[in-house]
Amino acid sequence: MVSRPGGKLEIVRELRALTPEEFERAAERLRNPAPGSRIEAAKKYGIDLTLLIEQLRLTPEERLRKLEQASEAARQIQGAARRCTK
Amino acid sequence: MSVEGTVQTLSDAGVEFVIIGGWSAILHGSALGTTYELDICVSPRADNLRRLVQALAPFHPRSRDLPTGSPFTWDEATLRKGAVLRLVTDIGMIDLVAEVTGLGSFDDVRSGSILVDAFGRRAWTLSLRSLIKAKRAAGHEKDLKALPELESLLEVEEP
Repeated sequence: MVSRPGGKLEIVRELRALTPEEFERAAERLRNPAPGSRIEAAKKYGIDLTLLIEQLRLTPEERLRKLEQASEAARQIQGAARRCTK
Repeated sequence: MSVEGTVQTLSDAGVEFVIIGGWSAILHGSALGTTYELDICVSPRADNLRRLVQALAPFHPRSRDLPTGSPFTWDEATLRKGAVLRLVTDIGMIDLVAEVTGLGSFDDVRSGSILVDAFGRRAWTLSLRSLIKAKRAAGHEKDLKALPELESLLEVEEP
């Protein structure tokens, strides 16, 4: 619960890391999608569900840091490639 | 680029904002590629815009939509002018919006958001349902391509 301007209280949801039990259930759903599920549709669409399992293993903060590092590396490679072609 | 620096700077300045777009998807577990700019929805209240201007001023914000060298004034009047302000700053690219297609004004966006620990701060980001709604409403090719993955993550969350 947090207080908002004006003193009004509201119930808020929080995004947090999955517990080991939640993670195992999520991983199982992604490894073996139920027929007709949205997960199965995503698999057929070409989504690599194993990548989602690896992401869900991390805390939200770890997901941010991982992407920030990957984006930085990609930018450095792009910069190096541009310098090579000059 | 430093998304970390941006989130910390805005949080420490007391700016009311919600992380939307690609970085919100990453927080929820998306594995789709890299994203460079940080998309945020900011409260258009005058005191909030004043805090935002003061917080980012040291990082020399310029509009990415203007040719290099074009005059650009970083102030509250500029913030009020456009629906979207695409900035490049010394700490990275930041896209500012006051409302989100499919969700509505900042207050609507904020009520469809959840709290998350991000870079040592507590920040708001869109809930997965709100993120899916916004991407579907935006209808851009890259947004629609993200939907199957986000829908899967939502199904994984369901009891």
